[in-house]
Amino acid sequence: MDRTLENFITALRRCGVRISVAETMDALRAVELSGYGDRQMLKDYLSVSLAKSLPEKKVFEVCFSRFFDINYVLVEDILMENDGTSPAIQGAAFLTRALLAGDGGGLALALNEAAGRAEVRNIQYPTQKGLYMQRLFQELGMERLDRDIRRLAEEESPDAQAQVKALESMRDNIIERVGNLIERQLELYAGRRLDEAFEGYMKNASLSALDERDLARIHKIVQRMIKRLKDRHSRRQKAARRGHLDFKKTLRQSLTYGGLPFDTRWKSKKIDRPEVIAICDVSRSVSNVVRFLLLILYSLNEFIPRIRSFIFCSNLVDVSCLFEKYQLQEALARLRSGTDIPILMNRTDYGVSFLDFKDQYSNCLTKRATVIIMGDARNNYWNPRTEVLRFISERCRRLIWLNPETPSLWGSGDSEMKTYLPYCNVARECSTLHHLEKVVEYLLRVN
Amino acid sequence: MSIPTDKFATVEGVRLGLKDVGYIANKQIAHTVYLAYHLGKPVLVEGPAGVGKTELAKAAAAFMDVPLIRLQCYEGLDESKALYEWKYGKQLLYTQLLKDKLDKIIEGQTSLAESIDKLHQYDDIFFSPQFLEPRPLLKALQEKEGAVLLVDEVDKSDDEFEAFLLEILSDFQVSIPEIGTIEATSRPFVFLTSNSTRELGEALRRRCLHLYISFPEQNLEREIVMTRVPGISERLTGQLVSFIHQVRKLDIKKVPSISETIDWAKTLVILHAENLDKELVRDTLNTFLKAQEDIRVTEEKLFTLTENALREAP
Repeated sequence: MDRTLENFITALRRCGVRISVAETMDALRAVELSGYGDRQMLKDYLSVSLAKSLPEKKVFEVCFSRFFDINYVLVEDILMENDGTSPAIQGAAFLTRALLAGDGGGLALALNEAAGRAEVRNIQYPTQKGLYMQRLFQELGMERLDRDIRRLAEEESPDAQAQVKALESMRDNIIERVGNLIERQLELYAGRRLDEAFEGYMKNASLSALDERDLARIHKIVQRMIKRLKDRHSRRQKAARRGHLDFKKTLRQSLTYGGLPFDTRWKSKKIDRPEVIAICDVSRSVSNVVRFLLLILYSLNEFIPRIRSFIFCSNLVDVSCLFEKYQLQEALARLRSGTDIPILMNRTDYGVSFLDFKDQYSNCLTKRATVIIMGDARNNYWNPRTEVLRFISERCRRLIWLNPETPSLWGSGDSEMKTYLPYCNVARECSTLHHLEKVVEYLLRVN
Repeated sequence: MSIPTDKFATVEGVRLGLKDVGYIANKQIAHTVYLAYHLGKPVLVEGPAGVGKTELAKAAAAFMDVPLIRLQCYEGLDESKALYEWKYGKQLLYTQLLKDKLDKIIEGQTSLAESIDKLHQYDDIFFSPQFLEPRPLLKALQEKEGAVLLVDEVDKSDDEFEAFLLEILSDFQVSIPEIGTIEATSRPFVFLTSNSTRELGEALRRRCLHLYISFPEQNLEREIVMTRVPGISERLTGQLVSFIHQVRKLDIKKVPSISETIDWAKTLVILHAENLDKELVRDTLNTFLKAQEDIRVTEEKLFTLTENALREAP
């Protein structure tokens, strides 16, 4: 198989583009048609056969230019203005000769081969840059170049001195360019791996110390989980129970054909689209995880069409419209600062908040609705009003409580979790992405 | 594919051929059509609404001189609407008409079992191709001279239908239980379009070449307007395309598409406009902006937008 294409596909895969064997075959045939001569054509052909969505196209653009620019730029930058008439030196190394003769093609070839032998493709972490640079220099024969330069320097003639000067600056160029080359290879091949490592770390890190910078990446991870949940739901909308004849419908249909049951009708089971009501605590006691909770809330809003979102502290407020209007950062900032939201940030009162919900929004409680409550159930010793939660629980299909505290702390101090527990269909700890993933998996199972 | 190969000899030939039938393709589109022909693969076209996704399929059909068979997808589309259906009415009518004939056939038989045996010799009559109503997909497979099959807005269909499409797209054959497997006499050239209202499955994407069409560059769009709207001056085209490109950068709900640019150009030609001016633009804004909110936003910046457009194409 075409080595260049193989390397390019490896680079694309490492950057997160999923490429199947069939697509590789397509790309091969496309390259056979185009060859490597026409850059635009090559790019278009590879783009339509390898990158199959808009985000992938963007990754492809970056990868393509990184991958196919490496060889061209490098050589031209290294070679200096050189008349190519320098006298050949006895017993000089290949590299020295190529540099002095201004042999761009040979140099490019040598660099490429050296990079291949040094296995630069396998670079994974930024800390390995030095190592791979050394290997590449070794393969390229930099030592011999140095030796030649030293030997030339010992000669007295002005010709030799000029050559030494030229060679030295070209050597510096090589060092700089090879550094860039390794850098690019790192971006090309290791981009995805870093992401994977990050994801692995993030999944188990407690999200109380969630950094502003990481928000976007975590958002992506959360999005993917919730999308899985949603996909599963939408796919199961029409689970047909094949094999069960619907007598009533068939008889009704057969009237058209004079009683002959031509058109048979079968029983099918319809599963409703989910209706979700999400209620999130934003009080000070959960201030360290509130951003994470709101992130979940936001992602739910992105994917589930019929969702009502509420936040509460001393009272409860409907914030559904906020998620449609603003981007993630803006929405979170608004939710946290309480801009334009009539929320009272005194002491948390679950009882009053539930009562608010019952009084104002109980009409959205239907037999199809799933209620998700996110909060630590720390009620400052106010009246927990379990009867209100019971009212809610009885009127919805399912009540899920996600608590950022570990179960061993539930019920300690002012936590009312133990009192609320009987009315929850599910109560889970949820303070890391790993927990969230478990919750999502659980939801997928019972559905 | 029985479409003449000489039309697909070079990429440039494809581009010019599409231009002849009124579709101005950029290099990327021409490359894709060329490659799709040579690989024999379906093309999945994505992009914002109104950039000419459907138009591409129509132009390709005109260019290859084969019929265009269109399947519009919607929620609840199923096999009977997309592939084939039995003509119940005809079947019923024929059984009634042939009642006497059937009586005669089973006349001599004494027992029920014998009559059924006798009938079994003829059972395929009512489930034969004569009683088959071909729907777009089957029709596309049956076209002898090849066809362009356009599966429009495939994202609007259900997941099940998408899965069902896979068989046709990879093997170009369908199986009808009563008749058997029907293979394509000549492979149709398939275009699928999507507006990304729903994420399409990986499997479908893998089987297709993927083309993303975004809004065209200014000079390409100028060329499109010039071809589509005969009698428009070059200067006016430059101004209105520049204006539209600025509007696309504004924060509005529904950005004007190419078809709306063309509509606007036609309107201006009818109004005998030679130049853009503020009043004219204000009066004709509703030809390319379809939401009151968008019109308001654009009107606020009308002066600067018009000035810029006039400066760019004096």
